[in-house]
Amino acid sequence: MVVGGLREFALRRNGDGSPALDESNGEELMHVQPSVAVALGSRSVESPGTLYITSRKLIWLSDVDVAKGYAVDFLSISLHAVSRDPQTYSSPCIYTQIEVVEDDEDDTESTGVLDLSKIREMRLVPSDSTQLDTLFDVFCECAELNPEPVEEEEEESGHNWVFSADQMVVGGGGEEDAEWQISQSPTSVIGHSNGGDESIAQPMLELRINDQRFDDAEEMVHESETKDH
Amino acid sequence: MLFFSYFKDLVGQEVTVELKNDLAIRGTLHSVDQYLNIKLENTRVVDQDKFPHMLSVRNCFIRGSVVRYVQLPPDGVDVDLLHDAARREARGG
Repeated sequence: MVVGGLREFALRRNGDGSPALDESNGEELMHVQPSVAVALGSRSVESPGTLYITSRKLIWLSDVDVAKGYAVDFLSISLHAVSRDPQTYSSPCIYTQIEVVEDDEDDTESTGVLDLSKIREMRLVPSDSTQLDTLFDVFCECAELNPEPVEEEEEESGHNWVFSADQMVVGGGGEEDAEWQISQSPTSVIGHSNGGDESIAQPMLELRINDQRFDDAEEMVHESETKDH
Repeated sequence: MLFFSYFKDLVGQEVTVELKNDLAIRGTLHSVDQYLNIKLENTRVVDQDKFPHMLSVRNCFIRGSVVRYVQLPPDGVDVDLLHDAARREARGG
């Protein structure tokens, strides 16, 4: 799934003109607001249209032009707010900021065609301004439904924090068999850097034992008969 | 969950949230969630040059992933306590 900024959207279902959703991926319609105008960036407002809020994205579809529609994923909406200040904007609206992927080729001046992916601000102006608080709440709800996707590595290996220069093994702190090593190994005193606080020493100790550089010390302790070195 | 808990304790205080796009918004911390999404009340834009269009919005919702910094009230932070708690949490305590 490519997450960009604002984009064209014209996939409608037959009949009621509502947008086609990615139901196989769990996308569902959360709220429909008719009679909403949209203003992209500093452009003038476009209307009439209908706002469809799904669990994944925001879709505005023109009521008069079947081919005209815009969509933006909630993952790309940096912030949203209710704007009621008439000095800032003539009508009360939902103000949103869209995260734009910075492009090296910045040729916004070269073509007259509007590049939707560069739009950073979008206002949604419902003709019924009493609906603004409801819309704001739905936006909040949907934003919460779309947290940043977590990479798998982070979940499995747990903490990769480094506490000292000696600690060169990454991801060794989560071993379940490390507990017996603490009780048997006399090197446990080395890990006590904070006055004998074992809860802090434990992860450090596990890592030192798993570190290959300390293999000799272990062998000497557990296999005292070995005279190879 | 350390910072989630920490921010929950800061609810009601004035903070300035600086976004990754350099926008800084000051307001009263209304609420925060586990993703560190932030809701601010009585917001005003600190630097009005970049985003003049949102000079004063009463409430706003900021996506946690776009926050760069949260500037805290100086007397609202016990640095040593936070330092120790962060260290403990990082070590899996």
